[in-house]
Amino acid sequence: MIKCVVWDIDNTLLTGVYLESGDQLPEPDPELLAVVRELAGRGILNALASRNPPAAARYVAKVTGADFAAEECGWGSKAEAITRIAAELSLAPDAIAFVDDDMLERAEVAAALPDVLVLTPEDAVEAPGWPAFSPAVITDEARRRGELYARRRQRQAEAAAFGGSRDEFLRHVGTRISIALATEADLPRLHELSVRTHQLNSGGEEVTESELAGYLEAARVAVYTVRLADNFGDDGLVGAAILTGNEAGGDAVGLVSGAFGVYQVPLVMMSCRALGRGALDALLAWLCRAAAAAGATELQIPCLVTERNVPMRLALAAAGLRAEPGSIGPDGRAIFARSLTGALPRLADWVTVP
Amino acid sequence: MTAESAVAGELRTMLADLTGRPEVAHIGPDTVLFGEGVGLDSLAGTMLLRQIERRYGVDVAAEDLNLDALETLGTLASFITKRV
Repeated sequence: MIKCVVWDIDNTLLTGVYLESGDQLPEPDPELLAVVRELAGRGILNALASRNPPAAARYVAKVTGADFAAEECGWGSKAEAITRIAAELSLAPDAIAFVDDDMLERAEVAAALPDVLVLTPEDAVEAPGWPAFSPAVITDEARRRGELYARRRQRQAEAAAFGGSRDEFLRHVGTRISIALATEADLPRLHELSVRTHQLNSGGEEVTESELAGYLEAARVAVYTVRLADNFGDDGLVGAAILTGNEAGGDAVGLVSGAFGVYQVPLVMMSCRALGRGALDALLAWLCRAAAAAGATELQIPCLVTERNVPMRLALAAAGLRAEPGSIGPDGRAIFARSLTGALPRLADWVTVP
Repeated sequence: MTAESAVAGELRTMLADLTGRPEVAHIGPDTVLFGEGVGLDSLAGTMLLRQIERRYGVDVAAEDLNLDALETLGTLASFITKRV
């Protein structure tokens, strides 16, 4: 699936060359502007990469009224600009399409970044009809994605100017993390997260709405959602985890009965928008606490070990979970575990729990 | 200066840049990187691992399932020094 389209400006989004147009700045291309809007409505991000001064990007944002999740203006190569955009938005190259009218620019990007889908403006007009640009489910979070990324840039600018620790910054921007039991209304978004999250996903597999509904109804299983907001805006439902107990034991929040022994977490997933904002740490801390409160003595999180989900492994390590070295199974998973006796990971005071 | 203390010096600079906290440039080898110490999280940690791979050609995540190398500044410097 394409998650972000990176647009050239001159003779692509604009019907002319920004720097050569004197007082009469070029108008946006109406066909491509319609594509930008259509994709934004589907939750696909738009970004700009242009050999122009930053004022060109501001002009394009103004005349199109569109939210651009990232802007790279300068004289360097487009491949480098796309690499920086991918890093800024935490996207893999195969989730990015690049549209440019200039054949040489397209060739340079295609050679340097073979996983990026390289398109002419004519291709881009057709793209909304292609499956890679047609997510099956479009949630409220998806429709607001471009806007949320624009806010994220403001947050990052503030973070760069802020001198204190990460926790002091999270407090400074009014971070609010709310963990709750999932309801049926959350299922489309949870399914979407299972498809879209890679860096912060322990399972690495799509989970269908009916499978998720099965977890909601099952005994001794709790599905927790995480919602995230701060003074820059409300990100909505950004993550979730499934906690399964087993036979007998005390009650836990949302668990019919717990087990004396091992609790498992078959899935933890979190939007990369939440990276660096304490949401995954909060969820892992809550899973430890909820399982411990139910009488469990150990928490186990099987995690697919890939290059892409290193951020998930970092969070597991930070929460005190460890796997047996060399224990990656034939399914590519290792079981990360920690004892629940003794001190548990703490929850920040801006986290509310069920 | 030993190879390990040279690596530790470079890591301090990377960590101070990543966290935006100049005081991190002066941490000792026993300083814990996650949590209370440097306050590394999965975002800053991922960026640190990328920089280490570019600078030293060492892919910590591929070699260390539990990322125990990231426990303290000293353990990370030692892990890298043994592999360059």
